[in-house]
Amino acid sequence: MRNERFANAPAGEVAAAFRAADAAYQNDGTLFHGADALHHGARPPRRRYLALWFPFLPADRLRRQAGVSHDAGDIAAGDEDRQAAPPLVFVAPVSGAMRLVAVSPEALAAGLRPQMPLADARALAPALWVVPARPDLDDAFLTRLRDDFGRFTPLLAIDPPHGLVLDITGCAHLAGGEAPMAARVRQRARAAGLHVHCALAATPQAARALARFTLAAREAPLIVPEGGDRAATARLPVAALELPERHYRTLQRAGLKRLADIIDRDSASLASRFGAAFPALLARITGAEDIRITPERPPPPCVIDRILPEPIARQEHVEALLAGLLREAAQRLERAGEGGLRFTALFYRTDGVKRAVTVSVSQPTRDPALVGLLLRERLGALDDPLDPGFGFDQIRLCVDETAPLTAAQSGLPADILPATHIMEAGQESINRLADRLMARLGPEAVLKLCPRGSHLPERAAVLRPARLATAGAGWRDLGPEDPPARPLHLFRTPQPVEAMDAAPDGCPLRFRWRRMMHEVAAAEGPERLSPEWWRALPAAAAPPQGATPTDDANTLRSTRDYYRVEDREGRRFWLFRPDDAGATPRWFIHGLFP
Amino acid sequence: MSNAASNALPAYAELAATSNFSFLRGASHPRDLVLAAILQGHCGLGLADRNTVAGVVRAWSALRSLREERLDAAGASEDLRDPRLAAEIRHRAAAFHLITGARLAFSDGAPDVLVYPENLAGWSRLTRLLTQGARRARKGGCDLTLDDLLADVRGLQLIVMPPARLGELEQPLQRIADAAPGAVWLGASMWRRGDDRRRLFRLRDMAARAGVRLLAVNDVLYHAPGQRDLHDVITCIREKTTVAAAGRLLEANAERWLKTPDAMVRLFHDAPEAIAATGDFLQRIHFDLSQIAYQYPDEPVPEGHDPQGWLEYLVWDKVKARYPRGVTEKVQRLLDEELALIRQLGFAAYFLTVHDIVQEARRRGILCQGRGSAANSAVCYVLGITSVDPDKHELLFARFLSTDRGEPPDIDVDFEHERREEIIQYIYERYGRHRAGIAATVIRYRPRSAIREVGKALGLTEDVTARIAGSQWGSYGEDIPDSHIAQAGLDAGNPAIRRAVALATRLIGFPRHLSQHVGGFILTRDRLDDLVPIGNAAMAGRTFIEWDKDDIDALRLLKVDVLALGMLTCIRKALDLIRQHTGAAHDLASVALTSEQPAGQPVYAMLQTGDSIGVFQVESRAQINMLPRLKPERFYDLVIQVAIVRPGPIQGDMVHPYLRRRAGVEKVDYPSPRPPHPPDELRGVLDRTKGVPLFQEQAMQVAMVAAGFSGAEANGLRKAMGTFRGDGTLHRYETLMVEGMTNRGYDRDFAERCFAQIKGFGSYGFPESHAAAFALLVYVSAWLKCYHPAAFACALLNSQPMGFYGPAQIIGNAKDNGVTVLAVDVAHSHWDNILEPAENGLALRLGFRQIDGFRQEWADAIVRFQAEQRAIASGARAVLTPPTRRQSNNPPPDMQMLQQRARLPRLAILRLAEADAFRSMGLDRRAALWVAQRLPDDAPLPLFLATATPEQAEEINQHLPEMTLGEHVAADYQTLRLSLKGHPMQILRPLLPGALTCAQCNKSRHGAWARVAGVVLVRQRPGTGNAIFITLEDETGVINAVLWARMLARFRREVMGARIMDITGVIERSPENVIHLMAKHITDRSDLLERLNGDIRTGGPEAVLMHRHPRDVRILPGSRDFH
Repeated sequence: MRNERFANAPAGEVAAAFRAADAAYQNDGTLFHGADALHHGARPPRRRYLALWFPFLPADRLRRQAGVSHDAGDIAAGDEDRQAAPPLVFVAPVSGAMRLVAVSPEALAAGLRPQMPLADARALAPALWVVPARPDLDDAFLTRLRDDFGRFTPLLAIDPPHGLVLDITGCAHLAGGEAPMAARVRQRARAAGLHVHCALAATPQAARALARFTLAAREAPLIVPEGGDRAATARLPVAALELPERHYRTLQRAGLKRLADIIDRDSASLASRFGAAFPALLARITGAEDIRITPERPPPPCVIDRILPEPIARQEHVEALLAGLLREAAQRLERAGEGGLRFTALFYRTDGVKRAVTVSVSQPTRDPALVGLLLRERLGALDDPLDPGFGFDQIRLCVDETAPLTAAQSGLPADILPATHIMEAGQESINRLADRLMARLGPEAVLKLCPRGSHLPERAAVLRPARLATAGAGWRDLGPEDPPARPLHLFRTPQPVEAMDAAPDGCPLRFRWRRMMHEVAAAEGPERLSPEWWRALPAAAAPPQGATPTDDANTLRSTRDYYRVEDREGRRFWLFRPDDAGATPRWFIHGLFP
Repeated sequence: MSNAASNALPAYAELAATSNFSFLRGASHPRDLVLAAILQGHCGLGLADRNTVAGVVRAWSALRSLREERLDAAGASEDLRDPRLAAEIRHRAAAFHLITGARLAFSDGAPDVLVYPENLAGWSRLTRLLTQGARRARKGGCDLTLDDLLADVRGLQLIVMPPARLGELEQPLQRIADAAPGAVWLGASMWRRGDDRRRLFRLRDMAARAGVRLLAVNDVLYHAPGQRDLHDVITCIREKTTVAAAGRLLEANAERWLKTPDAMVRLFHDAPEAIAATGDFLQRIHFDLSQIAYQYPDEPVPEGHDPQGWLEYLVWDKVKARYPRGVTEKVQRLLDEELALIRQLGFAAYFLTVHDIVQEARRRGILCQGRGSAANSAVCYVLGITSVDPDKHELLFARFLSTDRGEPPDIDVDFEHERREEIIQYIYERYGRHRAGIAATVIRYRPRSAIREVGKALGLTEDVTARIAGSQWGSYGEDIPDSHIAQAGLDAGNPAIRRAVALATRLIGFPRHLSQHVGGFILTRDRLDDLVPIGNAAMAGRTFIEWDKDDIDALRLLKVDVLALGMLTCIRKALDLIRQHTGAAHDLASVALTSEQPAGQPVYAMLQTGDSIGVFQVESRAQINMLPRLKPERFYDLVIQVAIVRPGPIQGDMVHPYLRRRAGVEKVDYPSPRPPHPPDELRGVLDRTKGVPLFQEQAMQVAMVAAGFSGAEANGLRKAMGTFRGDGTLHRYETLMVEGMTNRGYDRDFAERCFAQIKGFGSYGFPESHAAAFALLVYVSAWLKCYHPAAFACALLNSQPMGFYGPAQIIGNAKDNGVTVLAVDVAHSHWDNILEPAENGLALRLGFRQIDGFRQEWADAIVRFQAEQRAIASGARAVLTPPTRRQSNNPPPDMQMLQQRARLPRLAILRLAEADAFRSMGLDRRAALWVAQRLPDDAPLPLFLATATPEQAEEINQHLPEMTLGEHVAADYQTLRLSLKGHPMQILRPLLPGALTCAQCNKSRHGAWARVAGVVLVRQRPGTGNAIFITLEDETGVINAVLWARMLARFRREVMGARIMDITGVIERSPENVIHLMAKHITDRSDLLERLNGDIRTGGPEAVLMHRHPRDVRILPGSRDFH
């Protein structure tokens, strides 16, 4: 696909870069460094960088998620519509106090600034929409943007905070020149609902400074003509150097306010005051010296390819090949001290059709047999079976997600291990079973009972997809000598029973359930459970007028006295009496003990 | 509950009650537990909080109130006011056996043990044990092991509380039983957990095996089942979770309340002996808190004297020095009366202790002054505790010790705030840490904290709770009214919010933790930890006891308040400066003597014009406005001035009647009752204040005289007023007082105003005795400002932070009063601000302490360097060379020498350069900073001095732009918070065409429109909240603007955010010439600050997201905001 998009590109740097990247992927999966890939080509042309800055990235992200997306390129109009919208601010605790860390355009207009304490912000704007800052989500969003902007150039990087820098050297003509290219980039950002500033210059630093510190970069892309960087950046305030605060203050106090005031100064004198790196920084920002960006495109942690001179089609060959790939992957993972959580097998057919099959495991693993088994299960369960056609000429195995996995001793005799280890082992085999079932039936089909913190039996457990379930902790802790307090089987709706000879504050001596009379031989209780008052809103908690006490659903909303009861035949029941105002106590059965 | 029923009740007492002093574990006040136990017909109650006895006095006091049939004081609700019921309660309370102990929760995993002392020795054992645990742990914690308890169990009864798993009980139970044979009980509870009976039988077996008795308890967490939800909430607060997520951390049911004896008997029908055991247990306890025998220390009394004799000897000895021309008849009479009273009440030792502390302060040259009810006595004046002369000043010492109150005298002593610690350490040293301790303050939930925590526990978002919390303009208050919720933009009818508010309202007043009192010392003759546990405070070297002021009062312990007061520091420093530069020696008493000089005195003349910046207590905006209206001309006017601008008189609407009467506009008359009551009964009370009650004492006396309050009722009212309002007892007196007064024929309106005033005092009491003490400091500070403005400004600056105003205003005001102020300079300044001789008297030289971030050790090194240089200069040619045109960018030799000799880091030189302190070396700020950047980081060691200098390569002088005045002023404000070079508004003036200066504005006629721009000094929204006050400052002075609250919505952003404000409005001029600008339109001109500095900022409005330099943002010090 990539090759199609750049089909009419000359054999220039872009293609070279892609080839280099692909080669790097295929070789050993190490991170690809753009600078290293540019050995060939007689004389690199002057490079061009487009810097993007999204000043309201968190707010734009949230609005996108909230579905308040904007029509393409209509942010300006949207701004006016949103006059009524409350100012949105993102807050985080900074040394104990809640402070703003990001604001929306409305909030900015209302005088709210990052670093302001939340209390001050509220004083300024009482109607405030306050959201906890989520830098992780911002970063993820920025990463997605970076991946998306990869359509314009393969060489791009995140430029924190909240920015991107694109190396568009040699790419601009694809869009018909630098100005249309910059316009398309900007258009794409705005279509995604983002406020954006962009500037194009000869160094990433110059482009960044111009994007962030000039008004011109806001309304349209600011394009610095080749060789014009120095003139363009000279007008910038010294803040654009983004120096540490004390250095910035020194410059301010010295009356050096714009870059123009320092460009021509003796570099030794500057270096002695602002550090040895300062002259270089100045040179980069004024476009005098170029340093390449490091594009970030992390490949999957482990990718192994088999390119086959002779296509294969038979299932056993495919499986054998996969097994080999898995063994190799296991060795690599072991060297890295990692285990895989998600494995993808890619099958490239000779006619260009590609199929991918992915399996996941709940615990990191590098066991080739296990993963092979899961892959076979998955392949067997495919709705449209893998059709080799004229055969596969390449098979690739990617380990998409890994987690640290230390080596574990295996094969120790069970009798010398502590009981907890056996428990863990049991847990592990359940996990394995769940993985297999999930591979066959799909991840949502396998459910597991998980503990939930509640005294109420009907709320004490919840079914969750096994993949999301946590291991055994959180169940009620009983003493080893204690009998089980809760029945194994719980009725979804308690069933009424007819109780006889019950003491006013005690258990019945006999009761009839499903037309069977049970003579109570032994009983223990009561266990009194009060309703969870916080789950009903106060208005609803008040007993509705005219509600009949026979409403069975209501029985679970009142305080209940539970008794463990055994009849003469040795059957054990869990009975309760709801504490409703009815004249005669009513009884229900809620569960059966084994 | 009738009498007959109570007779039939089985004898049961709950012996494991937990109050809310087991912080975030118990959900009822101690007094509620006591009352509920009595109503349920229990024969006694055992209160044992977790590792503390902080709550026991509350329960004990509540029981005492019930016995005296003071239901209100015990927190009983209205429906218990039925006289028959009250009599029954009193009857039961008389026989009720309250026992007090603590629940020890061990750090070594042993089961909890409830410890109840049998007798006074046992109590001491318990308090020592708790002291041991608390001293070992961090603040608020307690670290005890079972061994600590078992080391000595004489005089203690122990109830072992079984843990969740009974298997863990057997072994420790046996150990405890062996260590304390016959005094150990095993608590058994029936909580309806399903396995109750099984547990009971197991416990009975264990008890039998260990040879201890089984005791029925319900391990009570709250007094009534309705408290369950609140208990769940506090559990969540403790565990930092929400009710939805807390799960099984919460109790499964609401069983842990004070059940009726009948119900307990039914629950324990398998083990009736456990019920009977509760009565037997009570029989073993003979300890009651009233047995705490308190002995006052006798240190200050020499051998062979008794305290009273020694006090009298001291008084008659010192009276000669105080009144060298002989004692007047009045003073003689006062002294005789007071000494008789002191003898009668046995408080001589207390006066001697205060005298001893004051003597010590005097010996160390620390200024101090007493205040409080007893402080304004003639005895205290003679002993030198106060300086208010009872002969000269007609003060009513009504609150001085009265026999029927039977309460300890109250003397607070203020010390210089910078040196109070010396006094505290002196007290510790003199009495020993084992005999001296600071009282506790119970920090309670207030509306703000309650709603925050409850909201968190209920899972409301921070946003919502912060809004409700933020809508409270003050922290105190009894509940959260719906109007506040609506004001926060939330629906008060929303069930979730209503529930949060309802729970928060119930949580208000719950203790949160103990903190140390500001300075209330308890002193004893014997070990203090025999009386009360002592714990560590957050501050190193401080310890405090577990009881607070009210507990101490209830147990009649004596307390000396050692407080800090910034103004005393300032006055002492000013007096020192005067002595140093003029040789004149003054002290508080000598200055005070001038306060009753004939009218037309310059000090009062100055105050009458409202020129009071820096003067104690009367420098706030409201006070400055009041001064020209009140026109104080004698000392008692200052007493009124101090007391009148307070919430009490303001809320009671007493200020304007008083001013009208004083101005002679309104006739002075005294509200009279209907006959047969004497028509003049209030004249004696209100005579001094022209018939208007202004002081707390007067409001109290009105309650007694006009509403017919009994002594006990008035005392209850006083307590309700003084203690935290969350106790919720104050409003009970409202009907009592208003009805009492109207029944006697007083105007209902007057009665309601009197009570409104009492409510106002509740949050800020101001009794006359305090006002008199403060008025003296008002007079002394005004006297200093009037006669020695340079010394006063200097002392004020050296005592910062204190008072209302920043250095810029203090210096601006000093300059207005003709003081020459000299800039900070490396060749002349010291750490402190100092006085230098100048042509027109003394000039004020700013010190290095004014430089932000400068350190005293650097300053001291510079001062040594200065002396060294002067020594050299006196011998030879001056080394500090006169300024010359500089050709090099290298640091000049004298700057290098300064760094080397004074061993300063480069940072110190940079700070000096930024503060423009190198002028005497011929370097302005910019040049100094640029060259100082080239200095080595730290001063080189002397050995390398010779080699260090040549390392600096010569640097060609590069021209830097000239620093503008605006930049200088901005930099001055950033480093010094003030500028002697100019005012920011003076430089920005050309950018504000058409705006008047503050001075012009203040001269405008009433009703004129005016537009004025200035730096925002203060913004304030007083309690009543219908107006916002803004003070603007420019190069000519200040103007006070008022914005009505209804316009706040429109100008909120400007009002709350602007550093420079442009206000258009109408001038309002009062008859007393007090001027206000009634704001009609406000513009935020903070952007001008960037112009001042010549800052460049491009990139549109979003640029602020990138330009983030904290110092840059703060060119001016922030305004002082009160809201």
